[in-house]
Amino acid sequence: MDPFLTSRIVTDVLSGLTNGVTYGLVALSLVLIWRSTGVLNFAQGAMPMFATYLGFAFLSYHFGYWACVVACVIAGLLLGGLTERFLVRGLYGKPEINPIVVMVGFLIVLEAVAAAIWSSTPRSLPSPFSAIHWQLAGKPFALSPFTVYEIATALVVMALVAALFRFTKLGLQLRASALAPEVSRLLGVRVGRLLTLGWMLSTAVGVITAILVSANFFSGLTPTVMDGIFAYGFIAAAIGGLESPVGAIVAGVLLGVVNQFVTDFVNQNAVIIIALGILVVSLMVRPSGVFTKSSQRRV
Amino acid sequence: MITIEDLTVSFGAVQALRNVSFVAETGKITAVLGANGAGKTTLLRTISGLKEPKTGTIRLDDQSLVHKRTEDIARLGIGHVPEGRGVIGEFTVEENLRLGAMMARVNLLQGLQEQYELFPVLGERRKQHAAKLSGGERQMLAMARALIAKPSVLLLDEPSLGLAPLVTAQLMHTIQSLCESSDLTVILVEQNATSALRIAHHAVVLHVGKVVANDTAANVSANDNLRQYYLGLVE
Amino acid sequence: MKLIAVRRRVPIAIAIAVAVTIIALVAASTTREGIALSIAFDLAVACGIAMSVPGFKADHPVVSRAALTLLALDVAIFLTFFFSSSTNFNLATGAAMSIVLLGLSFLTGASGQISLGNGAFMGVGAFAMAIWANHHATTPIVLTLLIAVACGALVGLLLGLPATRLRGPYLAGMTLAFAVAFTFILSSFSSWTGGDSGLQLPTAATAPRWLDGFFHAGTPPLTTTTLYITDVAIIVAGVAFFFMANLFASRTGRSMRLIRDNDVAAELVGVSLPRTRVVAFIVSSAYAALGGALLTLIDNSVSPPTYSFALSVTILSLIVIGGIGTISGALIGGVIYAFSTNVISWITTQTGLNPQGNLASQLNGIIFGGLLILTMLFAPFGITGAARQLWHRLRARFPR
Ligand SMILES: Nc1ncnc2c1ncn2[C@@H]1O[C@H](COP(=O)(O)OP(=O)(O)O)[C@@H](O)[C@H]1O
Ligand SMILES: [Mg+2]
Repeated sequence: MDPFLTSRIVTDVLSGLTNGVTYGLVALSLVLIWRSTGVLNFAQGAMPMFATYLGFAFLSYHFGYWACVVACVIAGLLLGGLTERFLVRGLYGKPEINPIVVMVGFLIVLEAVAAAIWSSTPRSLPSPFSAIHWQLAGKPFALSPFTVYEIATALVVMALVAALFRFTKLGLQLRASALAPEVSRLLGVRVGRLLTLGWMLSTAVGVITAILVSANFFSGLTPTVMDGIFAYGFIAAAIGGLESPVGAIVAGVLLGVVNQFVTDFVNQNAVIIIALGILVVSLMVRPSGVFTKSSQRRV
Repeated sequence: MITIEDLTVSFGAVQALRNVSFVAETGKITAVLGANGAGKTTLLRTISGLKEPKTGTIRLDDQSLVHKRTEDIARLGIGHVPEGRGVIGEFTVEENLRLGAMMARVNLLQGLQEQYELFPVLGERRKQHAAKLSGGERQMLAMARALIAKPSVLLLDEPSLGLAPLVTAQLMHTIQSLCESSDLTVILVEQNATSALRIAHHAVVLHVGKVVANDTAANVSANDNLRQYYLGLVE
Repeated sequence: MKLIAVRRRVPIAIAIAVAVTIIALVAASTTREGIALSIAFDLAVACGIAMSVPGFKADHPVVSRAALTLLALDVAIFLTFFFSSSTNFNLATGAAMSIVLLGLSFLTGASGQISLGNGAFMGVGAFAMAIWANHHATTPIVLTLLIAVACGALVGLLLGLPATRLRGPYLAGMTLAFAVAFTFILSSFSSWTGGDSGLQLPTAATAPRWLDGFFHAGTPPLTTTTLYITDVAIIVAGVAFFFMANLFASRTGRSMRLIRDNDVAAELVGVSLPRTRVVAFIVSSAYAALGGALLTLIDNSVSPPTYSFALSVTILSLIVIGGIGTISGALIGGVIYAFSTNVISWITTQTGLNPQGNLASQLNGIIFGGLLILTMLFAPFGITGAARQLWHRLRARFPR
């Protein structure tokens, strides 16, 4: 009998959590943009990837890890803002497929340009914490200093976003612009600027995800590093109903845990297939999202 | 004071307003009356910059409002309670009011206090979601949300729509006393001509986008032709 | 009265043309080009006669579409006899791709939705074809193609059922997830799909005996096979286009367009929204599978990396550039696809890029992604839309 903390189940849950928080963050950033601008941003993985490359380019100028992280976030804020201003702004109110197509195009361009500049060879990012798992009574424990950093960062980011929306003037305006843009403008809210800000914010959230994901020493940073994460993030957001930030996070974390169990008990290939199956079933059973209260549904 | 001159607004081929001119005096209530589709809502939306006019001018005192952005017009002190009230149902009463106070340079707590005194019901329900309010309460919330920013002009789009006669009377009374106690300019759009004319100083009657009367409220009230043909008031 | 007489004459003209064609076939001599020329000429004449009759298009839309298809097929097949075998190969892939594009165009044109997973649906057809052919080598091509189409439709039903019931970008996101998952699905069933190396068809498709006169006269077998497959691909594409043109014009097609333009109004007049969307999605998946199956036939093999997410994006780019929601857009996209590799390598050599370098290897993505964005922003209906606009402007400038 294994000791409890190093048992297979606990190991799976904790490793699943580590992946799950990154899905949750991507799902959260998708929901933020979807709610405020009605655009499902298919470049929500690629934009942070690009910003991460940009920020970590400063490594060659002898920036430390934390300075590079700050550079990444700044690059993400800029990229998000510019994208909204120059690519997305003309698409509001257009048929649903127009923003989808444009953002898919942007995804392709960003990935291709990143590969053209930095090549597709994985680049390993420095990490401030050791990725070597702790040992408990001679057995490997599911967590390492790095995974604790990963989970903690994700939780902090989620808490900050929640606090911003719930407790600040800015959050109130962001929510109002998303729910009732015209009324907000009549009350003097500068909706246009807030939409830009929303894109900046959600790209920054994505950048933090990308930094955490690509510091994983198995994959490293590649132009396509976020493709899979994006797919899981979307699945989580859709299960959560696309409207609910909390639902997106919860679904993301749960999906991470389920995926880990599938990896462990079935195999690696089955993970995305089963995730897709869960999405199909959950959409059949609760089309407007598992975590959406019926009063919140918007058609 | 709002001055409108020669205002023409169109939706494609449809002209919703044609050469409309009138003045809404400071500290007075100007009623804009007319049947459904007369262009009343379009008029208010054009003042607020939600719709671009084809020709004509709109001035707040000496400042032109045409080609300004809606949010900038609001920040000049024009409060607009839109058709259907525009209350954000997902927000609590207090969040709605806080949103209204956002751009005002007033103390938030004091502003809230004032509105709760003016509309005690709102104070009782401050933590409730606005979606749970009754029609009259929503109208009060919408007005309070506009008033909390201390506007110099208040645009009201059919505040009485869907309200019981008693509630309507109460509402009109509130509007009247607001106007008397401050220098608020009110443009009151109504289909319900009787109750609007009771409190208005001045009245403009629109018919299919054209001004058919522009006179004191008393004169418009007394004009049988207008009452019969444009206001639907037949004794 | 005179007009009616003219119309009566049409079937007679067609009958004559068909008779002449058959005679030409029967009298197959060894001069391949001679026969090809005579058949092509007869067909063109017949179709031309049929379509030039005034009022014929309005009275017999289906027959006139058939005539147009026949004419186009006739010209295309005739040309393949003169092209090099590499050009023919490109044309064949282009034809297969245009079928896929047609399906996607229909989905968007009919329901206003979009799929980001048509590359994977193509893969479903491609693998269904290869797997079936490996287990039942004797099944005729047409039947195998139909089986592949059925597989595509089935998977489409499975994914479309939940997603098309929802408004918003659910279908797009879900098909994207499917496209990403597809290569994993393939390797999960590696005993069927051949794992990383994919599958080989047991025998190359060759022309049947009675067409020997066309495809085997004195030319090396490799060339004749390419020619034969190209002609098969073009004919299948022609049939697919013919069906789609009729579907677009049918009652179903009209009610679908109503949904795209105004779903509330559509529901008011009794069109079932979810059902129509599901049907549109299934049709698009089935068309993608047909294109994929055809591609397997052309390549004589199928390999998993072909059907990655990148293919789905290429498909999206092609139809957007060609003109989404239109039939001619699919044709234009297919032609672009046929020659895109050549064009891109031409650009690489012209600009003096290092062909092994990073930029050159990413040129495809940069160009297609960039065109995708620019087209959507500045000409949402692609080349077809721009051409139509130009045409209307010219008509307005120079009225008849
Ligand atoms: N968004 C719009 N698009 C087209 N026509 C409109 C629009 N809004 C209003 N109209 C037209 O403008 C005219 C005036 O409408 P409106 O201002 O709403 O009238 P009222 O508020 O007096 O009932 C009507 O004929 C109406 O059909
Ligand atoms: Mg109105």
